[in-house]
Amino acid sequence: MNKILLILAGCIFIYSCEKTITPNLDAPTSQVVIQGNVTDAEGPYTVTINKSVGFYADNTFPAVSGAVVKISDDMGVTDSLTETSAGIYQTHTLQGQSGHTYTLSITSNAITYAASSTMPAAVPLDSVTLNHTSGSGNKRIEAIANFQDPAGVKNYYQFEEYINGQLFTKNFYIFDDRLSDGKYIANTLRTDSSWINKGDLLKVNMYCIDENVHTYFSQLIQSSGSGAFNTTASPANPASNISNGAFGYFSAHTVRSRTITIN
Amino acid sequence: MLKELPQASAITNSYGFYSISAPAGSYTLLVSYSNYKTDTIPLHLNKDQTLSFSLAVQGAQMQQVVVTAVRSTNVSKPLMGVQKLSVNDIKDIPVFFGEKDILKTLQLLPGIQSGGDGNSGFYVRGGSVDQNLILLDEATVYNPSHLLGFFSTFNSDAIKDVTLYKGAMPAEYGGRLSSVLDVHMNDGNSKEYHVSGGLGLISSRLNVEGPIDKDKGSFIVSARRSYADLFLKLSKDTNTSSSSLYFYDLNAKANYKLGEKDHLYLSGYFGKDKLGFGNNFGMNYGNTTATFRWNHIFNSRLFSNTSLIYSKYNYNIDINSANNDVGITSYIKDYHLKQDFQYYAGSSNKVNFGLDFIDHTTSPGSISASQSSSFNSQTLQNKHVLESALYASHDLALSPKLNVNYGLRAGLFSVMGPGTFYSYNNAGNIVDSAVYSSNKIVKNYFNLEPRLSMSYKLTSASSVKLAYTRTTQNLHLLSNSTSSNPTDVWIPSSNNVKPEIADQVSAGYFRNFLGNRYEFSAETYYRNMQNQIDYKNGAQLIANENVESQLLSGKGRSYGIELYMKKNTGKLTGWISYTLSKTERQFDGVNSNNWYPANQDRTHNLSVVAIYKLSKKWTLSSDFVYYTGNAVTWPNGKYEINGQTSFQYTERNGYRMPAYNRLDLSATLQGKKTKHFESSWNFSLYNVLGRENPYSVSFQQDPNDVSKTQVVQYALFRWVPSVTYNFKF
Repeated sequence: MNKILLILAGCIFIYSCEKTITPNLDAPTSQVVIQGNVTDAEGPYTVTINKSVGFYADNTFPAVSGAVVKISDDMGVTDSLTETSAGIYQTHTLQGQSGHTYTLSITSNAITYAASSTMPAAVPLDSVTLNHTSGSGNKRIEAIANFQDPAGVKNYYQFEEYINGQLFTKNFYIFDDRLSDGKYIANTLRTDSSWINKGDLLKVNMYCIDENVHTYFSQLIQSSGSGAFNTTASPANPASNISNGAFGYFSAHTVRSRTITIN
Repeated sequence: MLKELPQASAITNSYGFYSISAPAGSYTLLVSYSNYKTDTIPLHLNKDQTLSFSLAVQGAQMQQVVVTAVRSTNVSKPLMGVQKLSVNDIKDIPVFFGEKDILKTLQLLPGIQSGGDGNSGFYVRGGSVDQNLILLDEATVYNPSHLLGFFSTFNSDAIKDVTLYKGAMPAEYGGRLSSVLDVHMNDGNSKEYHVSGGLGLISSRLNVEGPIDKDKGSFIVSARRSYADLFLKLSKDTNTSSSSLYFYDLNAKANYKLGEKDHLYLSGYFGKDKLGFGNNFGMNYGNTTATFRWNHIFNSRLFSNTSLIYSKYNYNIDINSANNDVGITSYIKDYHLKQDFQYYAGSSNKVNFGLDFIDHTTSPGSISASQSSSFNSQTLQNKHVLESALYASHDLALSPKLNVNYGLRAGLFSVMGPGTFYSYNNAGNIVDSAVYSSNKIVKNYFNLEPRLSMSYKLTSASSVKLAYTRTTQNLHLLSNSTSSNPTDVWIPSSNNVKPEIADQVSAGYFRNFLGNRYEFSAETYYRNMQNQIDYKNGAQLIANENVESQLLSGKGRSYGIELYMKKNTGKLTGWISYTLSKTERQFDGVNSNNWYPANQDRTHNLSVVAIYKLSKKWTLSSDFVYYTGNAVTWPNGKYEINGQTSFQYTERNGYRMPAYNRLDLSATLQGKKTKHFESSWNFSLYNVLGRENPYSVSFQQDPNDVSKTQVVQYALFRWVPSVTYNFKF
């Protein structure tokens, strides 16, 4: 019962790889995509209408012009929007307020789309701090939104980052207090590589959104098509709060912002 | 079997007990077991006798001529859809990273589909991963994978053999729809002490076995530890070097004979995986099982086995980031009593009956968070259920040609208090709730599961078989991602979740050629499944008290044909296995209520395994695998939301991943064999052709062109060479 155990020196040669493929994808039916917002900031508020395109087409989405677009509130005000450029419609007098319900109505090509959304109470954004991380060899700066979640009510949040005035479009950020009711929240806005750099001017917008809009974005994130962790094995089009099969959302939300310089 | 009276033969049960009845006289008894030397014993029968044997491993001996048994069990036994492998059968098959893996080898057999690269999950006849009952010495193993699925929890040193029942399982097994994988641990050598082990690139193993009391008892202890993470320590990056990624496991078993009639066994398994990334994230998970068994022989006809079994699977996650200090734990835990009787009424008349009683507790999730954290501490209520069953089955030869096995399993599943039980409407909102105190029954499900299989011998070397089986399942694994995760949670049936039920009919033709040197089988099956589970769009499965409101219930069906040709002896051995199948599902509200292919629906599935004994020293082997890609849901259109490209979907699982194929080669060099020491080297090359088999396919914005989107396919490995050194002394 002896013998010296042999120690193996071997090299592991794993080669993991990625490549671009072009699977055959059927042509989709072009769908109407509506994005509408009403906020507690000053107007005008914008509704955008365009159409979806095939996967291999360019990222230019045909505008839907000539639609009749109206937003009314629960106090008897109806604002008829004007098309300021192709597919972009703006309000004139409407002013959003927390606690009120807004109804969107669009008629385009003889189809009427309707949606409503109730603006939740505002939650103040106390500060934006930074988290410096390093991993897999590259350094990252991530913003953290700090705020007090009100206890006893369901709150749904959405964040947007503007880096040097440019909207950051690599990620959707949403948060809800299902597991955090009443806590002081430090919510990291994760980025997958170094997008925020020293010297940048960073603006973080925090929106309090209603439950349907949160559900919409949560499903949109899960169906992002990356096939990786957190995305579902069976992605589907997210449930929109707009009727008649339109894609997109209509959201009445509050806005609170903080701007910092990265140092 | 008796050479002079071939019809008086017996197959031992899993503890090695057998009973043969024959008129008084002189006989020659042949004792054989796959890959072991056949033993021949002269016998003079004039009274009841008890004979015990131990067989020698065939080892390096070349092409032992099998003393031809006229009956070969694959043809005569009424059970069908059964695959049995011993560790000896798989020792020469190429393996990933030199790690012999009985689960991976099983996936080369007909009707058993691999989960893909980096996934030890497997699909049997269209069933999902959680519809396989995986038993290690009778204890349920809830997560049979290590390192997120690259390796299985079964250390080949500790395993004697595995049997897989594809749907048509005997009445003593229950609890899963699709299959039973019954893994038996080695008993250890009862005559002498041995130490054996292996050194590989990824992990090493050590195994010690020997007698406790010569010929009365033996023990075996096997341990394994992976050390891929040692390479991480070489990294200059502190986050990488302080990361961990390893697993270890320990198998131990002891048995002791208390006289001629009683035999005690104690076996256990403990395994753990640890994953960590710097100080920010840590996760560990693992299974623990323990089995105590008592075999008792009442008389030459009645055999009893009593088992007390414990099984647990748990995971822990620690997250440390900024001010967030959060721990998450979850477990499922079983206490199980199994009493089994086997009555040998005659040489071809056997009755099997008994009972099963399992107490399951699941803790779906518990979050502990520091005061400064953004999260609240929270514990989801434990779920307590009792699963009991009575069963009986009868093996009978109606004529020398016609064998039947029929049985019934009666199962009662009781959802127990304490707890608050909610009911939901279609939208998933709570409409009612009821509070139950401890030990109060919330809901009972009673299910009868008839089982029938029969074989009819056409000639001495061929037969046809027919089987019908109903199975039910009351534990369901919630997994909504493309790969199975250690954090997937098991939930029991409840007032909202109904038991899954499957009915399977199968028919087969079995034929052996050239004195059993070749085996051929063709089996076809149709399976109908009720109360299958899927998830609502955007389902929230993590730490959700109302997780049952996130589920959909629907139907499934699966059918196919499995062809299998095996060469048992000679310099060249191996098999070809081909399965043609279809698996579909139908859920209200999904895919416009139309039937759609299940993820694991693979039309073609081909495996070829060849082992060639080149010389006394060298053995070469190779396997080739081809299968149709999984059914997947891919977008075909896109639109923009808040400046981000989003994707438009049309059909559930309407597209296919590219087909998978892989060729592996391996060579084993047997070192000099002395009485006290033997060793071998194994060289293998996984994926010889370097094919980039897709692991995932991603639809994304083209990073180099803002006006375009692209499809990117990721593959895990191309060539994976490995070297393993095995020794025994």
